[in-house]
Amino acid sequence: MIVLQSVTKSYGDVRAVNGVTLAISRGEFAFLMGTNGAGKTTLLRLISREEQPDAGVVLVGGGNTAEITGPGLTRLRRRMGVVYQDTRLLPNATVAENVALPLRVRGMGGSSVASDVNAVLERVRLADKEARFPRELSGGEQRKVAIARAVVANPEILLCDEPTESLSAERATEIVDLLLDINADGVTTVVATHDTGTVNRLRRRVIHMDNGCVQSDTLVGSAAPPPATNGPS
Amino acid sequence: MARLHVARYLLGSALTGLWRNRTMTGGAIVTTAIMLITLAGFLAINDTLNQMVTALGRKSNLIAYVRDEARPTQVMAIIDDLRTRPGVGEVQFVSKEDALAIFESRFVDQRDILDVLQSNPLPASVELRLNDPSVVPDLAQELQTMTTVFDDVVVPLDVVEEVIGISNLARVAGSVIIIALTGVTLFVIVNTIRIAVFARRQEIEIMKLVGATDWFVRGPFVAEGAIIGGVGAGIAAIALVVLYAQAAPVVTRIVSFLPVSTDTDFVRNLAVFTLLVGLIVGSLGSYFSVRRYLSV
Repeated sequence: MIVLQSVTKSYGDVRAVNGVTLAISRGEFAFLMGTNGAGKTTLLRLISREEQPDAGVVLVGGGNTAEITGPGLTRLRRRMGVVYQDTRLLPNATVAENVALPLRVRGMGGSSVASDVNAVLERVRLADKEARFPRELSGGEQRKVAIARAVVANPEILLCDEPTESLSAERATEIVDLLLDINADGVTTVVATHDTGTVNRLRRRVIHMDNGCVQSDTLVGSAAPPPATNGPS
Repeated sequence: MARLHVARYLLGSALTGLWRNRTMTGGAIVTTAIMLITLAGFLAINDTLNQMVTALGRKSNLIAYVRDEARPTQVMAIIDDLRTRPGVGEVQFVSKEDALAIFESRFVDQRDILDVLQSNPLPASVELRLNDPSVVPDLAQELQTMTTVFDDVVVPLDVVEEVIGISNLARVAGSVIIIALTGVTLFVIVNTIRIAVFARRQEIEIMKLVGATDWFVRGPFVAEGAIIGGVGAGIAAIALVVLYAQAAPVVTRIVSFLPVSTDTDFVRNLAVFTLLVGLIVGSLGSYFSVRRYLSV
């Protein structure tokens, strides 16, 4: 589903991602672990084609993202849902309007949008707050709205950047459980985090990054490592 | 069906966007209205000034006194030729008898002077009323060369030159100010819209990231720009019509010696022009302001 081959990305003199090679299969759930500045966010931005690699290839669903432009890029973005670290909710739109946005951009309208939005808000347990504005919600609730917006249009891939950051353990667990639930529907899910507690609690694949390189790629709680390989670092 | 949903969404989104960003919207509308009132007001003033200068030019006269011995056929041929010249309005032949009659009517208390004279001493003349004062110097010179026909050519050249100078200055200054004011108006309106779009650049980025096409993102902003420009221009147009209706009679009264036209056609056309400028600048300003944030 997602393949990175010797991918490198620099910002000025800083090499944010350095020769990363890995593969994430369809329907897989993977954590991207690492401290701040390890390269997790840049890796997600490369997959979502917000950034393009300086070297190497990023393949999503078999297509080279560097070669995708215009309508192709729009189609690629519609196959993904992204939960941003800062949520990036529209401040002047209600919860329901924020969540409906991916459906609106697909030309959907009327009752089908309302029912889809209702269903996903029920799923994240925010149905009673559909008329609120983001500023009227807690941090955890804003993350849930961002997740709802990311999954409302049934994407094939879900990318989450630090979805549990600054949340209490209880709220973090709630969010991760929600992501696992979404993954159970077959959505390929990649979650960038440095929340060791959450990662250790689950028996999932963990790609550990440091200084832009993949340091380890293991299945927590399992002796056998996943098939992906480290790139040159 | 999808297109209908999109169209409804775009318009709804534009109206919602305007309302939720009402401080910015209000500022943009007021700025647009003020700039367009200034521009349209100056256009109206410039038009009135031009009419006044043109009217002043029409007051320019030229009188050529005909020699007594000049042949009438020759004089009439010259008059016919003068009537075909550009810039020449009326050409009137005043015979010796007419001149005497005019003298008598104007100077009733000095009729004794004429009784002393044995014959009519007043010459016949050709009087020209000119539409364009700039033709006066050349025309006067031409008539002065016809020494067998005309005895003298009287023309208030200093006044004519002054009128030509004022007319040219008014036109050049008017054009320069209108060009500069139009540039400033467009600059201010477009920048006001750019600031409004800049404040919502994150919204544009998010829409692109969730898979919106460029036109889906642009649509509401272009509609918002058109509404801001249209409403601002509408306010300007109404203000213009009201101000013109109030000011026109006053101007006409003050410069009653000049035939200044205060017709409603002009102000109506100006109001329509203002509306069109508002709509076009508003939509194009938004279109180009959004474009720079679409490359996400």
